[in-house]
Amino acid sequence: MTSMRKALIALLTMIALIASACGGDDASDTKAAFVMVAPVGDAGWNFMHDQGRLGAAEAAGVETAFVENIPEGGAEFDNAVQNFIDEGYNVIFTTSFGYMDATETFAAANPDVRFEHISGFKMNDTNFGNSFGRMYQPRYIAGMAAGAATESNTIGYVAAFPIPEVIRGINAFALGVANTNPDAVVEVAWTSTWFDPGVEGNAAQALIDAGADVLTMHQDSTATGQAITDAGGTFIGYHSDMSEQVGAYLTAPVWDWTNRYADVIEEAKAGEFTPSAWWGGMADGVVDIAIPDSSPVSGEMDAVKQSILDGDFDVFDQGTIADQDGTVIIDNGQVQVELRDPFDDSVVVAGPGDEVHDGVLLTMNFFVENVVGSVSG
Amino acid sequence: MMNMRLVRRDTPLAGGQVRAFVVGLLIALLFGAVLLILSGHSPITVYSKMFDSALGSPRGWSATLTRAVPLGLAGLAVAVAGSMGMWNIGAEGQIIAGAIGGAWIARIAPELPGPVLIPAMLGAAVLGGAFLALGPALARSRLGVNEIITTLMLNEVAIRVVRYLVNGPWKDPEGNNFPIAPELPEQSALPTLFERANVGVLIAAVVVIGFGLWASRSAWGYELKIAGSSEKTAEYVGISMRAKLFTVLVLSGAIAGLAGGIELTGSSSRLVEGVANGYGFTGIIVAALALMRPSGVAAVAVALGAVQIGGEAIQTQGVPSATSNILQALILFGALTAAVFSEYRLVRSAAVPSGAAA
Repeated sequence: MTSMRKALIALLTMIALIASACGGDDASDTKAAFVMVAPVGDAGWNFMHDQGRLGAAEAAGVETAFVENIPEGGAEFDNAVQNFIDEGYNVIFTTSFGYMDATETFAAANPDVRFEHISGFKMNDTNFGNSFGRMYQPRYIAGMAAGAATESNTIGYVAAFPIPEVIRGINAFALGVANTNPDAVVEVAWTSTWFDPGVEGNAAQALIDAGADVLTMHQDSTATGQAITDAGGTFIGYHSDMSEQVGAYLTAPVWDWTNRYADVIEEAKAGEFTPSAWWGGMADGVVDIAIPDSSPVSGEMDAVKQSILDGDFDVFDQGTIADQDGTVIIDNGQVQVELRDPFDDSVVVAGPGDEVHDGVLLTMNFFVENVVGSVSG
Repeated sequence: MMNMRLVRRDTPLAGGQVRAFVVGLLIALLFGAVLLILSGHSPITVYSKMFDSALGSPRGWSATLTRAVPLGLAGLAVAVAGSMGMWNIGAEGQIIAGAIGGAWIARIAPELPGPVLIPAMLGAAVLGGAFLALGPALARSRLGVNEIITTLMLNEVAIRVVRYLVNGPWKDPEGNNFPIAPELPEQSALPTLFERANVGVLIAAVVVIGFGLWASRSAWGYELKIAGSSEKTAEYVGISMRAKLFTVLVLSGAIAGLAGGIELTGSSSRLVEGVANGYGFTGIIVAALALMRPSGVAAVAVALGAVQIGGEAIQTQGVPSATSNILQALILFGALTAAVFSEYRLVRSAAVPSGAAA
């Protein structure tokens, strides 16, 4: 009994010694690693994360590295993250929704490494946070340009999945359209894929056939842009400035992760691990839009952008917002009906008289009046 | 005009496969080095990183062996069918079918304790894989329908079924409308063996190595050999070709299904569309490198697993994933060429006049 206990103590001491030896005293040495789901050279989601990485590396003055083409939900992700940890990377960004569970597991097992997951909803109290951007803000401004550009009064929207993020973007865009063109409608085509140029192109063509002369999208390829260029219409992009890839390009709401990444890295460098569910907007620089001089409403767009930056305007916190049946959901920033969580019907997110808080936006599951399509996909 | 053709050697090269493999590997690494130098990387740094992360530490070994599990089982599935002269191109779909079977058990009985739940899930995975091979097996053995086409096309069916499930009836109610299945119960995770490897490594090792031994020593394996090499001989000695073709193809599907079950309970926290991750197709390469011999599959799977793990790890050295893929392909190509040349040789022959019998 005693000898076993001694052996156990000896063993534990040894483990502790090894652990402290491995732990390293170079904690001040901050290195940041990024895991990407597709190649970074795609002008879309991953490209913008890589741009953010490069910008943050320079701003924070740290070494960074990345791996690309890592599938979600498999052993390849685990190997990639473990390799980074073994090489001393202590800030790890995982930039695809499907990495969420695995990132959570790694965070629990590696308390000295800070993990930041992009676009998910999980976090912990010590070393695992999530970040995302209020893309709906620039989407509203893009909608203003679309409303002014359309002649057929039909604007097409190629969209991936009917999740709140995408629905919110469509609604913001449609509200922007209504701002400059009350007669126009936004028609939605679902693709059930983030990246499939063939499927995206087909959906775009279907919208063109239905009379759309302006198209935008929530996808990862430029297929929608190619289809509308061929049809001689106008394209409003997403993710990045696609003017070089797409002839019909007018403008695009874009990502810029540089500041957010630099902030997380600086925090880690200073030893301040404060995980949060960070949801930045245009004022934080994580999302933006280039206002095209060629648009007849560029003056109005500039004005809206400025009031968003000043905090005087919020897309869903103004005017009368009705759903497709004409029921008023939000009036002057006040919720008018009972809104339930679409994923758990027993949870009331907001009721009549409540303010439009982030919970309302994060569970958004209805289309506004001038959208044609169904939120059930 | 000079013609080249491959002629089977009377006796395989001295040192055989192992020597050929090493030579093929060296040539591939040499080509790869040129590629790396041209793209501005030091071949020594990259290669040593590749080796270290795959085989240089217990953790590396754990990653390599974990990868060898689906590769080995898929390779065995293809090789088993191949020893009867059949091509099972459907291991990818059978892996998915296995994962669906396993996930189904976790759905209907999430409260079962781990020691009951895990075997039940793996059992359902085996049945799932076998089920997907059932149609092709019946069609081949009863009607003589080519199994290449049927197994290949069922891959598409399997991927669409899993896509339907995660988009529809099995969608996680707490997944924010993302097309993902719910998380599996915690106790369904395979226990850890060492570092990052789980018990799946043991299960796969027993199946792959055990089957190799059994196939080379049992009467059943001997019958398989006879039936695979000559249908007439088989029927003369009273082996039912029909029964053999059917059993072997279903068995092949069952083995691939097990791979899906182990991936689900070992590496994944929930059923995802990409659960098979191309392992079923890589299994064809594994079987080809093992010259369709079940006994050679284990070694090839570990070697290929090491190449993949090493290849993925060098991305952290700034090598783009495309370059890393080319390197892996070069190594595969070198090994495959070596495997061929250990049994065949290239001979020059004068052009055969047209019309002459070859």
